[in-house]
Amino acid sequence: MTILSSENLILASEDDVMLARRKVRLLAETLGFDPFTVAAITTATSELCRNVCVHAVKGTARLEQIGSGGRTGIRLEVRDEGPGIADIDRVLSAGQRSVGSLGLGLSGSRRLADEFRIETIVGRGTVVTVVKWKRPA
Amino acid sequence: MPLQYYMEKLYLDEAEVESRRHFFEITADDLTRLAGLHSFAEKHTDDIVEDLYRLILGHPEAKKQFTEHATLVRVKQAQRDYFLGLFSGRCDLAYVQDRLRIGIAHERVGVPPKWYLGAYARYLRSIFDRIAVELPDAAQARAAYQSIEKLVAFDTALAMDTYIAAQLGALERHQAAIRELSTPIIRLYQQVLLLPLIGTIDTHRADQLMEAVLLKVVEEQAHVIIIDIAGVPLVDTKVADHLLKTTEAVRLLGAQTILSGISPIIAKTIVNLGMNISAMHTKSRLAEALELAFEIIGKRVTSIAKNHPAAAAEATEKS
Amino acid sequence: MSAHGSIPVLRIGSTLLASIQVELRDTIADAFQEDILQTIAETGATGLVIDITGLEMVDSYVARVLTNTGRMATLMGTHAVVVGMRPVVAATLVRMGFRMEGVLTALNVDAGLALVSELIARRHGAGQ
Repeated sequence: MTILSSENLILASEDDVMLARRKVRLLAETLGFDPFTVAAITTATSELCRNVCVHAVKGTARLEQIGSGGRTGIRLEVRDEGPGIADIDRVLSAGQRSVGSLGLGLSGSRRLADEFRIETIVGRGTVVTVVKWKRPA
Repeated sequence: MPLQYYMEKLYLDEAEVESRRHFFEITADDLTRLAGLHSFAEKHTDDIVEDLYRLILGHPEAKKQFTEHATLVRVKQAQRDYFLGLFSGRCDLAYVQDRLRIGIAHERVGVPPKWYLGAYARYLRSIFDRIAVELPDAAQARAAYQSIEKLVAFDTALAMDTYIAAQLGALERHQAAIRELSTPIIRLYQQVLLLPLIGTIDTHRADQLMEAVLLKVVEEQAHVIIIDIAGVPLVDTKVADHLLKTTEAVRLLGAQTILSGISPIIAKTIVNLGMNISAMHTKSRLAEALELAFEIIGKRVTSIAKNHPAAAAEATEKS
Repeated sequence: MSAHGSIPVLRIGSTLLASIQVELRDTIADAFQEDILQTIAETGATGLVIDITGLEMVDSYVARVLTNTGRMATLMGTHAVVVGMRPVVAATLVRMGFRMEGVLTALNVDAGLALVSELIARRHGAGQ
């Protein structure tokens, strides 16, 4: 897999979340993603970036355009040094009735993404990576 | 189909090319050796291409294939380029793309594998004869021949992949066309849509269907969509789940879904699976679904009155 | 007519019509909910139509605010309807697994207003 472009973003405020959304949308549209896929990755971005600002106060995001064997995709890695997530399995399988937005945001992003990875250490922080590929013609 | 299509289908990137080089055991030594033989190749290329054409023209069926096209001269030039390309000393992504272009050209003209695979074999024999003369040292000659053989095998694999990808591409296009034909969303009446589903529904198709349905509902500002599943042979949890998702999404748009064509088997399956489809309107027959759809949009189908001209004419005829 | 923050709210008879045109940030969404409920309390509106035709993206937070606003309005005796959701938004919400429960929906503003009228009429017809 090759990384064709990379951009780092700060996530500390609502404005940063909005900016991240806009950048992801712009990248997806520029790469020719269909509208449903654009919506999926933009929404996942919003969920993950908001989680950082709400639960960890601040963090960073890395937005990359990636390529693999002729496919084009977007990879977003969202990182924070927040409290970490204690019961990750429970949170990931959280439905709507769970307390707080963290669970729904994470499980929602996972369902919307093609690839999803999370590493979290209680007391240290969390890294969530999502990938969305452009649909073949 | 353009180069990009094949690059995608064959997952051809640097990593894949390296992987193939590795498996075909093409080393830097091989490439250096081949580059060193470039002048040898230039010296013999015309003869070797002629060998190939003698073979083709001497074979009635092959001859037909090639001489029916006025592109014989151009093809000869392409063969020359192909042959010399073996001695470029490269086997990287750019090399692969060059080879793919040749494969694409063959595919376009409709050359079946047996001809160009036979051609590769012919080249190898031609080279073998001449290498022994060029390199009197047996060990050197063998090393050179093996390098060439490795690269030709590498190229053959690409040619096969191109051919197969082209066939699969045609198949995919046909399947897409069939899918299009089998899932038209019909405007039955103002504000009423009908989607008659036919055939098996896998996740991919279900996803596409949901999107098509949502777009159509908004485009037509339809209040109701009837999804008829009488033509779907198998309804399992996955399919039922997709239908539920679609129904919910349609509801979010502000419209309603009626599922029709529920056979006894499907009804049993859904109940036995414990699926909760209370949110959906369901009917066994399309006609009933249509009646319900009209009700939802505030319309009713009534009989034509007895003193209507059409009824009168019929009455006259009968008497 | 009143404009709370960046979301204009129209009064059509005793129904409020809010058209969300801008990309929603969390604080605006929260303010919107506050304003709407306040306006309902002040005007005694019997209907609320929230038009989200202009929203390209609705994530779980906004979806929750919209849903809750609708449910809160309903508790206050106001018929609430969300209209004009875009196909990409609907698809994304169901794929995320988000259920917008307890809120009525309609295709567009006209349909929303018609639905509100019908519900008000029914309630009156039931002898209220």
